[in-house]
Amino acid sequence: MSASGRVADPLRLPLELDLFEGPLDLLLTLVLREEIELAELPLRDLVEATLRGPDEWDPPTTGELVLLLCSLVELKARRLVGEDDEDDYAPDPDAELVRERLAAQLIAFAPFQRAGMWLSMQDGIDGAVRYRRVPLDRAAALQAPHAPNELSEAIIRLMVAPPMPSMGHMNRERINVGEIVAELRGALRRTGRVSFDELTDGTDRLAQGMTLMACLELARRGEANLAQPVPFGDITVHRVQPGFAGE
Amino acid sequence: MSEIALDRALEALLFLSPVPVSVVQLCELAESSPSDVQRALALLGTRYGNESGLEVAEIAGGWVMRTRAELGAVCDRLRARPPDERLSPAAIETLAVIAYLEPISRPEIARVRGVSAEATVGSLLDRGMIEEAGRAVDGGAMRYRTTPAFQERFGLRGSSDLPPITQFELSGAEAEAVRQRLRDAGHLDDEDA
Repeated sequence: MSASGRVADPLRLPLELDLFEGPLDLLLTLVLREEIELAELPLRDLVEATLRGPDEWDPPTTGELVLLLCSLVELKARRLVGEDDEDDYAPDPDAELVRERLAAQLIAFAPFQRAGMWLSMQDGIDGAVRYRRVPLDRAAALQAPHAPNELSEAIIRLMVAPPMPSMGHMNRERINVGEIVAELRGALRRTGRVSFDELTDGTDRLAQGMTLMACLELARRGEANLAQPVPFGDITVHRVQPGFAGE
Repeated sequence: MSEIALDRALEALLFLSPVPVSVVQLCELAESSPSDVQRALALLGTRYGNESGLEVAEIAGGWVMRTRAELGAVCDRLRARPPDERLSPAAIETLAVIAYLEPISRPEIARVRGVSAEATVGSLLDRGMIEEAGRAVDGGAMRYRTTPAFQERFGLRGSSDLPPITQFELSGAEAEAVRQRLRDAGHLDDEDA
């Protein structure tokens, strides 16, 4: 790059050395050699001073200048961030720790995996426990087989039809007062009198009640008289002769 | 009891017993001294040699008379093993961890295995392979240990009859192979292995 201008402006110094053409070229080389601390270099001032210069920039020179300034900006940015390309691809130390732990855990667990394989082989060889496992108390409880005749007798007993279950509680006894009245009349006609206790001997409470109602009915009709000398004692039913015309 | 009669008595007892019978029990049952019982057991061991379908073996702290291992296949035709009697690989590995590190708690088992051991431990408890062994401190996690049923199943004389765990440790090359597998799977960078 060639540059020319006033002597007072350092950027306009007619600097021409064997290896450098102009101050910006030299500056970039010094920066790359780290002889100038790029982080402390005011790039904005450098750009403004360059653009305010009196020279007319032709396109090739302008492109070269822009490329040079961009290189400086990139170098300064990397220096300020404090990382270079190698650091960008450095592995995450935390992730590495986790991975190393995983490897260590796998290596530490491997013996138990192998021990498990050994146990599996023992299990396979044994086919589980190779002796009888029936507990002695259960074995002792098992009875000896019975003789055929004992078994047949037992089966015959099982084949006998069981007695029919009683349905008595489901059948209501039907008692007709008229029938009892007719029966009572016949008894009175034959004997002239009957005892209530004898008449109801062996019958249930319902039949006794119905018989009492029949006696009261005959007394109501005047066909019989009732006598009970003792409270709660026997009742005697007497036939009434004169008015006994109900037949 | 003479020794001849003693070995026949022990033979009958071992044939009859559904569980391993300890030497102490055999001494009591046969009314004999431990040395006589040991001699009679040795005699029985000779009698039930390779030519026999049975063998006299010491497992789970006692002695049993059992079928020989090589006849397992033909025996299984008579006595089909129910499917639930088999142990899954996860259960076997958990059992190995417990057997070597007992008493050990469920969180510790999970740390060794790298996965939760809750269901597997429950299954092993149900099968009677392990049992509770108390807590290290009040309020701490329950610890577990293997049972005599475990020793019976795997034909171990006792809890100390396992091969040393060092026998199963990885060699340097095998450990490196593990790391290589991790690298191949993208879990480790080459320069960090």
